[in-house]
Amino acid sequence: MLGITKQFPGVLANDDVDLIVQKGEIRAIVGENGAGKTTLMRILYGLEMADQGAIRVKGHTVTIPSARAAIALGIGMVHQHFRLVPSFTVAENVVLGMEPRQGMVYDEDKAKEEVQELSEQYGLTVDPDVRVMDVSVGEQQRVEILRALFRKADILILDEPTAVLTDSETHELFAILRRLAQKGLTILFISHKLREVLAISDNTTVMRDGRVVGTVKTSETTARELSEMIIGRETLESAQRDRSAIEPGEPVLELQDVSVYDVRGLLAVKSVSLEVHGGEILGVAGVEGNGQLELAEAITGLRPCVQGRIVLLGKDIQNLPVRQIREAGVAHIPADRHAMGMAVDALVWENLCATRYHEPGFSGRMALAMDRILSESDSLIEEFDVRTPTLQCPARNLSGGNMQKLVVARELGPGQARLVVAAQPTRGIDIAGTEAIRNMLMDYASRGAGVLLLSADLDEILAISDRVVVMYGGRVADIGRVDASTRDKIGRAMTGAEV
Amino acid sequence: MNRHTDTEVGTETTQVQRMLPAIVLQLMNYVLILLLALAIGALIIASSGKDPLTAYAALFHGAFGSRMAVANTLDRSTVMILAGLAAVFAFSTSVRNLGIEGQLYAGAFVAAWVGFGIQALPAPLHIALAFVLSAVAGAAWSLVPILLRTRWGVDEIVPSLMFNYIAIHFTAYLVAFPFKSDTTILPGTDPINATAKLPRLMRGSPLNVGFALALVLVFVVYWFLFRTKQGYELRMVGMNPRFAAYAGLPVKRSALMGMLLSGAMAGIGGASLILGFFGRFITQFSQGYGWDGIVISLLAKNNPIAVIPAALFYAGLANGSLEMQSATQVPITLVSTIKGVIMFLVTAQFFLRYLSKRYPQWA
Repeated sequence: MLGITKQFPGVLANDDVDLIVQKGEIRAIVGENGAGKTTLMRILYGLEMADQGAIRVKGHTVTIPSARAAIALGIGMVHQHFRLVPSFTVAENVVLGMEPRQGMVYDEDKAKEEVQELSEQYGLTVDPDVRVMDVSVGEQQRVEILRALFRKADILILDEPTAVLTDSETHELFAILRRLAQKGLTILFISHKLREVLAISDNTTVMRDGRVVGTVKTSETTARELSEMIIGRETLESAQRDRSAIEPGEPVLELQDVSVYDVRGLLAVKSVSLEVHGGEILGVAGVEGNGQLELAEAITGLRPCVQGRIVLLGKDIQNLPVRQIREAGVAHIPADRHAMGMAVDALVWENLCATRYHEPGFSGRMALAMDRILSESDSLIEEFDVRTPTLQCPARNLSGGNMQKLVVARELGPGQARLVVAAQPTRGIDIAGTEAIRNMLMDYASRGAGVLLLSADLDEILAISDRVVVMYGGRVADIGRVDASTRDKIGRAMTGAEV
Repeated sequence: MNRHTDTEVGTETTQVQRMLPAIVLQLMNYVLILLLALAIGALIIASSGKDPLTAYAALFHGAFGSRMAVANTLDRSTVMILAGLAAVFAFSTSVRNLGIEGQLYAGAFVAAWVGFGIQALPAPLHIALAFVLSAVAGAAWSLVPILLRTRWGVDEIVPSLMFNYIAIHFTAYLVAFPFKSDTTILPGTDPINATAKLPRLMRGSPLNVGFALALVLVFVVYWFLFRTKQGYELRMVGMNPRFAAYAGLPVKRSALMGMLLSGAMAGIGGASLILGFFGRFITQFSQGYGWDGIVISLLAKNNPIAVIPAALFYAGLANGSLEMQSATQVPITLVSTIKGVIMFLVTAQFFLRYLSKRYPQWA
């Protein structure tokens, strides 16, 4: 791709970008949210047309007006949000649109056979017969990759493929990618996580503000050098907790024998007891799906607590309405910003005022005080660096990272919370944004609030929490204060072993 | 990506400038849809051996061709606007109210009852009372389906739909027996008193103050939905109920309120026809206006203001098709075909996708 330029209304998304990738290479493309990585890949996959520049694939200059054209050229894309039909089987999803036929009829056996063959050839284990809705996220991703391979892709674009994966699934994915590269496939890998970029890629291209800052051989660089290139600053103040200065105060939150059901009616949280003190960040580590989500939802009033007490600042709050819990001083950054953290069709200001519109000053008996709401929203997006063209556009138009910043701005902006429940607060966010959010959480703690940090990202837990518990199978194991041995202890506890 | 430098709030003009292209895009979308639908209709007319152009000329003439035609179209649009608002209320709260037709009947019957049952009240009071009680009746008729949902999680689609039949047949029973009037051979109530009749706006046309009321309600509904606390709650619950629950909004209360307001609006719509046009309740008075309302809100993309042009368009088609039939023998049902094609194209966003690709800077 040479000299690619793409102008969006008000934004130069790609500015004279050159990207040259060799066959069989794994190329990581890193950069902040909105640096133009995704736009560049969308141009390559035919979802956008470049205003200027040329694309050459295997020596031929091509135009790619549509995804169909991209597929014909052997370019495949695995999107961040999977595009699978949940009620179809794995095999049906793979062949969808290119079904093997016998006469007019879909040839199910042949489809299964071909999918099986393909999955063996590349070592992507899937069961062709199960429905996609019944398989794990990692397996769904393998189905997506198989879909691309089935269409004879030899250039594979992966947009933040690890964002939804657990650690072990990530390892598996990397093994698969290496095998694919060995077989001559070219892999373009968009990511935020430098550790993963360093682990998997041959070369790394850094983008910033729509331009390519540089391309480096991954084996000859360090995370520090990359993050400096990404941010464009000499030094990066990495958010790290100064644990010597912490003096935990009175308990802000106490859980006593709390049990919670999940959506299927199974016990997801089993008699959990824990305390969060003022001024303290308690990290809850663990593989996702071990009850963290249900725990967070029970504390914030979204899910009934079937047993036990939840005490906030000395008052019982279990099973109170959400609004009362929020008014008692709880802020909640949910794990799923799309489904819960915002209404994507609502405007930016409508999302920002959702927890406070009813307070005096923001509305009267009936009418909303629009001036006040808009000026408050404006200062929030200023303070939290939410990049949006206007307050009046649907939140859908924001990039993923900016959506998350919007959620954080709403929850932490008012600054009155005594307890912050933060679930995966930095997932899918760029480095600067991640630093900002972590600093914000530490700031809250230093002002005496308690922070409950639920994260599947061990680095995050280790970077900012004071004390750690691990959730496994609905129970918590206390790891204690964070020190040099914490990582190992967490690792063991995450698999259910005794600490 | 870089933030605009001109994003400061309060600069209304820049916001309008930014909104304008999106509106132009939508308008182009609708114009193209209309042209394609008319073209398909023309093919059908031509295939039956008639001249499409004369038929369409008659259609347009019947709808908007004279002062009288325009007045009649405005009159016809009154109930359509109100039914459209009813649907807007329901769908912006994601309450699937398929009972608008029945709520129309409930409101209409109560309006007639108040109209003939109460004597010697000053006209403004009498009219106001009739409208208020018909709104209550429409809301009451929507109560059971929505309570089934908020209390027991029963999907409101089927119950609200079934309540249409109860309303239609129960009112038919009422006018056939307890309220049977000797003044008409049709099954209907006694005529309403003069004090309950909506004043006409134009000599020779049924156009009456009901139309003005509908216009006022359009702006009230707009204000309510977009500028009040309760309206905000309604819309957030409609857009993402999980988000609304998470933020602490009253989800169930909002669903209940959305449905009741929808029913009330439908009740007022029914009353406008009785007090403004028929002068008494008769069976089968509504020609599916409740269903028109649902389609109109779809055309209007749930925007109360856009309900006005959508309803005018529908009313124009209804009135124009009558003249088309009498002048050119092209049957009224052709208009249903055109409506069907339009519905199809609107829901499929047929041209919109093409247009926003062609003019990405406007999307």
